Amino acid sequence: MERVLLFLSGLLLLLSCNREKVIEPIPYDNPEIPLNIPDGFPSLNAFVGENKPTKYGVELGEKLFHEKKLSGNNTISCASCHKQSSAFADNNVQAIGIYGRVGLRNTPPLQNLAFMKFFNWDGNILQLEKQPLVPIITHEEMNSSILEVIGKIRDDYEYKDLFKKAFGDENVTADGIYQSIAQYEYTLISANSKYDRIRRNEGDTFTESEARGYQVFQQKCMSCHSTELFTDQRFRNVGFPVNPSTEEAGRARVTGIPADLMSFRVPSLRNAEYTAPYGSFGQFPTLKSVLDYFDNGVLDADNLDPILKDNGNRIPLTEQEKEDIISFIKTLSDSTFVGK
Amino acid sequence: MKTQKSYLLFLVCSLALMSCSKNDDNPVANNITLHFNNTFKNTTIVLGDASSSTATVNTSAEGQVHHFSELKYVISNIRLIKADGSEIPYNINDLDQGATVVDHSKPQTLDYVLSNIPVGEYGQLKFGLGVRPELNTLDEVRFPDFYAAAGANDTQMHWEWGTGYRFTKIEGFYDTDHKEMSVHTGSTVEGTNGEPDTYTQGVDAYRDITLTLPSHAIVGEHAPRITINADFDKLLSGKTNTIILGTGNAKPSTHTAANMVLFVDNLGGNGSSDLSGMFSVGSVEN
Ligand code: HEC
Ligand code: HEC
Repeated sequence: MERVLLFLSGLLLLLSCNREKVIEPIPYDNPEIPLNIPDGFPSLNAFVGENKPTKYGVELGEKLFHEKKLSGNNTISCASCHKQSSAFADNNVQAIGIYGRVGLRNTPPLQNLAFMKFFNWDGNILQLEKQPLVPIITHEEMNSSILEVIGKIRDDYEYKDLFKKAFGDENVTADGIYQSIAQYEYTLISANSKYDRIRRNEGDTFTESEARGYQVFQQKCMSCHSTELFTDQRFRNVGFPVNPSTEEAGRARVTGIPADLMSFRVPSLRNAEYTAPYGSFGQFPTLKSVLDYFDNGVLDADNLDPILKDNGNRIPLTEQEKEDIISFIKTLSDSTFVGK
Repeated sequence: MKTQKSYLLFLVCSLALMSCSKNDDNPVANNITLHFNNTFKNTTIVLGDASSSTATVNTSAEGQVHHFSELKYVISNIRLIKADGSEIPYNINDLDQGATVVDHSKPQTLDYVLSNIPVGEYGQLKFGLGVRPELNTLDEVRFPDFYAAAGANDTQMHWEWGTGYRFTKIEGFYDTDHKEMSVHTGSTVEGTNGEPDTYTQGVDAYRDITLTLPSHAIVGEHAPRITINADFDKLLSGKTNTIILGTGNAKPSTHTAANMVLFVDNLGGNGSSDLSGMFSVGSVEN
């Protein structure tokens, strides 16, 4: 009796093994999408290696990025604030979300994020996968919750299909949402401006004004707007007009360190032509007004950046220099990136 | 077969009997109720708006009058320590089962019932003001109940931008002209502060509280009730910091990590020399 049982169970075991093999899903061909790292760019954020973009991961992320069901009343998607035509920023002073609610800060462009070490104006997010939850739950942005979002899309055939193709399981999960959106964002690389083409010796040349502007820029701006990203990714207080909200403390909101008060991550100036207004809460309507402000003198503070402090709290610029710098900044515009 | 059946019957009966007798005179476990009594010094707080005539008014060590209109805080990571030193953790890794928002405007939240506590004599109580960093991620998938309770419209204990919970939320008024004060605390820490391998940035506002009970809480036939006093006089006049609202760095409204630690250390202790902050045990009723 025992022997028979043993034999039977052995057979069963074998059978079940066999069966598994038969029904094992043929993995979808979901190739990795290689990120073309532009020459001279800093190295990738280490988290990219843990969530490498794949064909269907990116496709899913792009669909979710444009999905209004991510908001409580199905009116706002990520793309409502991060518009491609504005280099994935918008042209509002401060972000405007659900029910017209006004947020704390200006919407930054989404570009070259795979190379950034810190996200948001104050760098509170270090891993892009941890960012999408913030707008989804924020009262002034999408005012929803991740379970609410999952509930709305989990029975949708297209999402099930894409989840299956991207992650091998048609179940819509929170992590899958975060990862796919980040994968899509990693592919948003802007490095095809006139400036880039000149650097790559592809035949373009600067106009005289642009060339002069580049000269001044290297002298007066490059100590902060440095590297091929045009930001050194450090947090600095440059004495811009201060956001009156008690929610704002700049980098100190995260670190609690007084020396970080009203310091912000140096913004990239790539595609700045498309991202007006400027400053952490849209204080400046135009590039010219930013330069006028630097020229006229900035607000003093204990922790004002030494580069400004040592120069009488200003960056002196002639009208000609301002004009030339603006011409130069416009060579950082990547028309293919913004789809124009 | 027959013998087996009757054997089973016997088993079921005896089990039933055993479970009955358990409930009656020989319990293996019972509840402990933690009652939170929010005070200014020895007076239980009455909340009120700016011009309220009934609100409890407190005067700080520096002579600043103030009163509150809203008072909430999160308790988690509860551990009970038996007289023999052994520690009974209470759902410490499950915010749904082991964490609560104490909201002074809702009397039912002032009593938190710990269920199924093993019988025995308990001499010490430990808990956290706030949520430990590893659980403080606003993970609705893992802890839907606590997420919902903390995020309710009339509770607002989500710190969305920091993807964590608010640990305390105090709204009120200060000085004779009733200027607004507003203190929110929460963590922004990435990794563990003090562990350079993991720590990258931010402030850990979680505070571990240790309270020794004046007499043992005896879990057995009876379910003890422990009254924990939370003396909000300490907010401005704490063991660590004496704060004057509106001068220097002590902004009357603290909604970020900036200046927050002053208040956190007063309410929850500084984590080293002061492990109780504003908390003390009022009474143990067995
Ligand atoms: C209501 C407008 C709004 C919506 C909707 C919105 N964002 Fe943003 N986004 C912002 C603002 C404002 C910031 C800057 C936040 C800060 O610095 O605190 C930001 C910052 C970011 C950043 C950091 C960029 C950087 O340069 O560091 C990323 C990434 C991002 N958003 C992605 C998303 C995604 C993904 C969604 C949808 C899930 C989304 N956003 C929805 C307004 C919005
Ligand atoms: C000391 C470092 C530093 C120097 C030098 C500097 N900047 Fe900036 N710049 C910053 C920081 C930091 C910000 C963001 C500040 C804020 O919003 O409060 C900024 C913001 C800007 C913005 C707004 C960008 C946006 O997206 O909102 C522009 C445009 C700009 N700078 C251009 C320049 C130019 C042109 C120069 C040279 C004339 C220059 N900056 C010199 C640090 C610097």
